[in-house]
Amino acid sequence: MMKTFLIAIVALVLAGPVLAQNGPLRLTITDGVIEPLPFAVPSFEPENAEAAQVAADMTRLVAQDLSGTGLFREIPATAFISAHSSFVQTVAYPDWRAINAQALITGAVTVSGNQLVVKFRLYDVFSGSEMGGGLQFAGTVDGWRRMAHKVADAAYGRITGEGGYFDSRVVFVSENGPKDNRQKRLALMDFDGANVQFLTDSSALVLAPRFSPTGDRVLYTSFASGFPRINVLDVSSVGTRQLQTAEGEMAFSPRFSRDGSQVIYSLANGGNTDIYRGDIASGASTRLTSAPSIETAPSLSPDGSQIVFESDRSGTQQMYIMSANGGDARRISFGDGRYATPVWSPRGDLIAFTKQNAGRFHIGVMRTDGSEERLLTSSFLDEGPTWSPNGRVIMFMRETQGAGGTSSLYSVDVSGRNLKPVPLPNGASDPSWGPLQP
Amino acid sequence: MRSAGTYISGIGHVGLVGWLILGWGFSSDPLPFEVSQVSVVSSEEFAAMVAATTPQPDVADPTAPAQPQIEDAPAPIEPETVPQVAPSPDPVAQPAQETPPPEAPQPPVPPADVADVAPVEPTPPAIEAAPDLNDSSRPQPRPAPRVAPEAVAPPPPEADVADVVQDAVVPDDSAAAEVVEPAQTPTAPEEAVTEIVTEDAAPSGAVTTSARPQTRPNRPTPATPTETTAPADTATANNNAADDAAVAAALAAALAVTAPDLPAGPPLDGSEKEGFRVAVNRCWNVDPGSEAARVTMTVAFSLDQSGRVQGDVRQVSADGGTSGSQSIAFQAARRAILRCGAAGYDLPADKYDQWRDVEITFDPSGMRLR
Repeated sequence: MMKTFLIAIVALVLAGPVLAQNGPLRLTITDGVIEPLPFAVPSFEPENAEAAQVAADMTRLVAQDLSGTGLFREIPATAFISAHSSFVQTVAYPDWRAINAQALITGAVTVSGNQLVVKFRLYDVFSGSEMGGGLQFAGTVDGWRRMAHKVADAAYGRITGEGGYFDSRVVFVSENGPKDNRQKRLALMDFDGANVQFLTDSSALVLAPRFSPTGDRVLYTSFASGFPRINVLDVSSVGTRQLQTAEGEMAFSPRFSRDGSQVIYSLANGGNTDIYRGDIASGASTRLTSAPSIETAPSLSPDGSQIVFESDRSGTQQMYIMSANGGDARRISFGDGRYATPVWSPRGDLIAFTKQNAGRFHIGVMRTDGSEERLLTSSFLDEGPTWSPNGRVIMFMRETQGAGGTSSLYSVDVSGRNLKPVPLPNGASDPSWGPLQP
Repeated sequence: MRSAGTYISGIGHVGLVGWLILGWGFSSDPLPFEVSQVSVVSSEEFAAMVAATTPQPDVADPTAPAQPQIEDAPAPIEPETVPQVAPSPDPVAQPAQETPPPEAPQPPVPPADVADVAPVEPTPPAIEAAPDLNDSSRPQPRPAPRVAPEAVAPPPPEADVADVVQDAVVPDDSAAAEVVEPAQTPTAPEEAVTEIVTEDAAPSGAVTTSARPQTRPNRPTPATPTETTAPADTATANNNAADDAAVAAALAAALAVTAPDLPAGPPLDGSEKEGFRVAVNRCWNVDPGSEAARVTMTVAFSLDQSGRVQGDVRQVSADGGTSGSQSIAFQAARRAILRCGAAGYDLPADKYDQWRDVEITFDPSGMRLR
């Protein structure tokens, strides 16, 4: 008996450490780091002499696009160990690991007459493999910026798993002159402030332009007749057409429906403002709200089934959500202050808004049920948020204080990081971010 | 009557109390202590010292994956015919004004034509079927023997269990018609033994040999006078021999589980695990605004004895997010493990068997935007 007991003890003692392991070592990590991902982009290889300058320009623009997101950090070329001078050159991964480059972008550019071809590859340095296959874009030489944006979009998408937003445009109101005599024109720009083009002259006050889902048309409010009217502008021809409204009615704050065939807008009549849906082709309209309060700034959900809007039916400006066909609305904002200009995220999970509280303006986001409100900015006057096509960045207008104050466009990451101005020659307001270009 | 022990105890206690009060035997001299020379080093010096002992990454990494050859690259494809820009229609005539606007809008430059041409994806290599695994050589569990007053031989496989033994009867068509015996199934009592046989005393079919070094040979036994052993002592000796065999079998079974040449050591303690965890999480880059921040990813990998990752990092499970965001979360986890482990993780070599296989769960829920 005693022997058996001793046998058991000895066996347990000897086998104890082995039994304690019980499979692989298991760890749980809950706190990582939040820092830009280092990447390297050696200058794209010009495959002929004509391509030398544009290859260098495109390389800079790709790096600028990625770094500008705040999610990536470019490693300067002076730190490169490996001179990756050829697109077909084998990648020396150890050299890139040594400088802590986690992604490597290589490219080559060919110019033939007015035709330009750019091809690129993206490498995951630490796993020593290529991310996706090679890709090339062909176009005209004067479209080199678009092709560089497309390269950056592809790299961004492969690294983050989300769509990019670099090859997109923004329509906005360009402002010039002092506050008491400010001229306003509709204008178009690339997302980064480049290629500004004007869509209207400064003869009439224009407000609140909104891109169509396909980016080919713009809705805006014009005061050309003395009353606010909604116009539809064709971007390629700059031709405009006014939506039908009855005499004495004021229509404003329009947005396209998801299929671009309808417009939801606010209509003020007899001291009451409500939300309507109108068919662009036929002009037929349907009233969606009927409260005696002011309902305005409607924005459709990505699936087109709901509308978020602002209303003062509770006595102060708050945000509400109702069915796209009207009906009962539920209030989603309950914090201190006033909430305005709600915009539904393209992802569908968040609503951006302008908040005024304690003498300050903020751009914020909250979930569609009103939870998890986060204020991203704070200033004397921030308003008019618009989402990037991938729902990652918000652009808005910021105005400085005083008689000589100017308005300009800013962008901020949805995390609240990377707040920065959009470089523009003149003042700007009312941005509306268009879709990715085809 | 008090015993002598009581007096002795009393005297002893009184003496002890007196000794404590008077402090006899105590020395006023301080206890000796060991003095070590300590020098203060700066963080730079410490880093230099550590760097000198840290294995440097192998520049010529022999395990680096094959580089994609340009031959494998999709051949550049001639751009498709770029659709020509439709001639812009004339701008809509602006309403006549007394003074023309100084800045008449021009049709914006149409966006440049860009055609993306997706290259042909290379054909992935065929996946070889996994080889069939051999049957486990582990013994099948044996049915517990039945204990009965009398040992019973194993019954025939076709026999039913019954108390009475009876032979099988098969109808014989050739037998005489007047004598017909009904068909019956053979029966036999269940197999039984007269005592319980423990596994440690009986050969179990488990591992019986160990690759451990053989024990030293026994010392030469000094010659002992031959004694006549009584029959009763013979039985005791047989029992001892059986116990020794059982001990040897238990030792062998316990030790055979350990890999022969790998130091197992005790499990990693808390600080060692924490050090490993910190070493990985400082390379785990989380984008809290991304969809991937909604994915809890568990990955597994193996380490060699120098603490470097062997083979690739494998996804074990993923919770939350879409398939695309799970893929990004996996890449972030793999990048963290490979990047911070490039020079080998600092883990105790004598416990290699405890950290040879690792499974890490990356849970970003605490970093998610709220």
